[in-house]
Amino acid sequence: MEFGWSDEERAHRREVQAFLEEQLPPDWEEISKGGPGSDAQAAFSREFCAKLAGRGWLTQSWPAEYGGSDASPWRHAIFGEEMWGNGEPRGPQYMNVNWIGPAIMRFGSEAQKAQHLPLISEGRALWCQGFSEPEAGSDLVALRTAARRDGDTYVVNGSKIWTSYANHADFCILLVRSDPESKRHRGISVLLVPMDLPGIRVREIPSVVGERYFHEVFFDDVRVPVDALLGSENEGWDVVSYALQFERVGAARYHRAALILDDLAAQARRLGRLSEPRVLEQLGEARARCEAARVLNYRVIDLREHGAPPTADSNAARVASTTAEQAVADLAVEIFGPAALEYGSYADTRFRWAMTAGVAVGATEVQLNLVASRLLGLPKE
Amino acid sequence: MDFELSDDQRAILEAIEALLKRHAGPERAIELAAKGAYDKELGAALGESGFLDLARGEETGPLEAALMVEAVARAGGCVSVGARAFVAPLVLEGEVHGPVALAVAGSDAPVRFAAHARTLLVLDAYTARRVDLVPGDVEPVRSNFGYPLGRVGEEILAGGASLGRGSGARLRNAWRTALAVEMAGTLRAALDVTVDYVKKRRQFGRAIGSFQGVQHRLAHAQVLVEGARWLALEAAWQRCPEEGAALAAAHASTTAHRVFAETHQFSGAMGFTHEHDLHVWSMRLQALRLELDGAAGHQRAAAVARWVRE
Repeated sequence: MEFGWSDEERAHRREVQAFLEEQLPPDWEEISKGGPGSDAQAAFSREFCAKLAGRGWLTQSWPAEYGGSDASPWRHAIFGEEMWGNGEPRGPQYMNVNWIGPAIMRFGSEAQKAQHLPLISEGRALWCQGFSEPEAGSDLVALRTAARRDGDTYVVNGSKIWTSYANHADFCILLVRSDPESKRHRGISVLLVPMDLPGIRVREIPSVVGERYFHEVFFDDVRVPVDALLGSENEGWDVVSYALQFERVGAARYHRAALILDDLAAQARRLGRLSEPRVLEQLGEARARCEAARVLNYRVIDLREHGAPPTADSNAARVASTTAEQAVADLAVEIFGPAALEYGSYADTRFRWAMTAGVAVGATEVQLNLVASRLLGLPKE
Repeated sequence: MDFELSDDQRAILEAIEALLKRHAGPERAIELAAKGAYDKELGAALGESGFLDLARGEETGPLEAALMVEAVARAGGCVSVGARAFVAPLVLEGEVHGPVALAVAGSDAPVRFAAHARTLLVLDAYTARRVDLVPGDVEPVRSNFGYPLGRVGEEILAGGASLGRGSGARLRNAWRTALAVEMAGTLRAALDVTVDYVKKRRQFGRAIGSFQGVQHRLAHAQVLVEGARWLALEAAWQRCPEEGAALAAAHASTTAHRVFAETHQFSGAMGFTHEHDLHVWSMRLQALRLELDGAAGHQRAAAVARWVRE
């Protein structure tokens, strides 16, 4: 047990920081204001990810045979922290690198790997995830979007909701019920669906969170070739479980929250409030939450480094990240006061970013269920 | 970074656990608490095995000392290992004599282990002082909070030899780190005994631990307790940096506040009794979370270290 960075890891953080300093345009704050799903940021991500790929960084955590360099989970984490800390200039593409690509590596056919992995590792593909449905949110296995086999195609009917990035995505990793008689976890399949197939319609759901944040995606007799099936038919839940383990700690929310907190302290100083005991205590408490989330996320990275099977530690880390992010967002509003109400202001954007934390990637209550059953061994009935 | 124990660390911990199995545990803690006594036997056993000298060992350092302190806290050991084996070696040069207690100058708060300590480290505004105590110097204070306490007289608190420039900060940071480590071990045990209880206790025809209203709160506690543990061990490994020590202590203190309330709530009336083990750890959490101005003090210190001081 030891808690230090190697020289190589420290050097990587510095070179990534220097790269960001050089590559992010002066109006990056403006571009990133709308969040990773905004038109501006999605467009920027295509250009930026290609540059990351050029440096060999975009998919460095991947095996060399798939366009990576077998970088350690720690190096990947450092890279992710710097990206999230700077408003995620990879836009939606962080998902590709963190879990869509790894899921294709693990479950994909040779043809699927050949088609998709180069697109991802070169920064040329935007993906969205077709998981949630109007009647299947936290209870994801209640999903009903149907895929009926018809010769060499699946005919897909149904709808997905809350789909971030659907408006820009080239592909969707889509969960469908391929066995109409099935219930719950069995009978689900995963399809890698090009978003330009006839019969797919995307509707933006306006929200208070950000521009182009939520969408509804309708599938109306969409004919998807059977070779788009990822993994075995009706065994898609295995793919989802695998992918979600990566997703929960994929975003370095704790790191972004910690950097925002530094900005809040600077603002408190400008307002002459950094000598108020109450303000110092709030800042200290929020910082402690960010740090606790960091070490719990690091614990998960460490388990991966040791090749341990996935555990509910990732759910615990997610809960900690969520509470840290929410604490910081609340404090942002408190320190900036009514100035936070102006659209696009510093506190406004940070507050809106944090709003979804407790709901995205599975509601906090679902994470707590898994912590209770798997880490504490508490009984169901 | 490596969150797994090395082979050497594992071997040390296994030896400590084996020793604690013989000399500590809740039964022993309850017996000693009834008399307000200090566990001289456990202290001697740890000393003879060299476990009190891990912080300045050839192959070991503050992290190994912290792992030992955590294990003792988890086992409910009634010895001043945080002060003796973690703080004193980082603050004092040379040999450390007998049990150690930590106090703040000008404060009349009862001090953990003071009535049994031979060395008292006093935190002043900028420096630390070392006071050698003889039996009878400090009057015992009766307490229900799991530790033998003593009230140190003004004269003693004002006396002793200064440990020089920078010793105040050194003592404060090491003290905060040790507190965080002790809370981490104590929190773990309090939560474990409660989780065990709600699995067995049945009401309405089912284990109370099967109710989601109970599960979510204990799961939250689990997240907090684990975070407190890793922050404390990291601060120890980093040799108690000002901000890291304060954050670890802050998080452990707020967690202690919450875990005390939750573990007692779920243990019902049984949790208040000497016939159930929870109080061995829960009551200590209250004592620990109050030291050095408690959570608010640690939070202010962390904020000042990060954002105010140049």
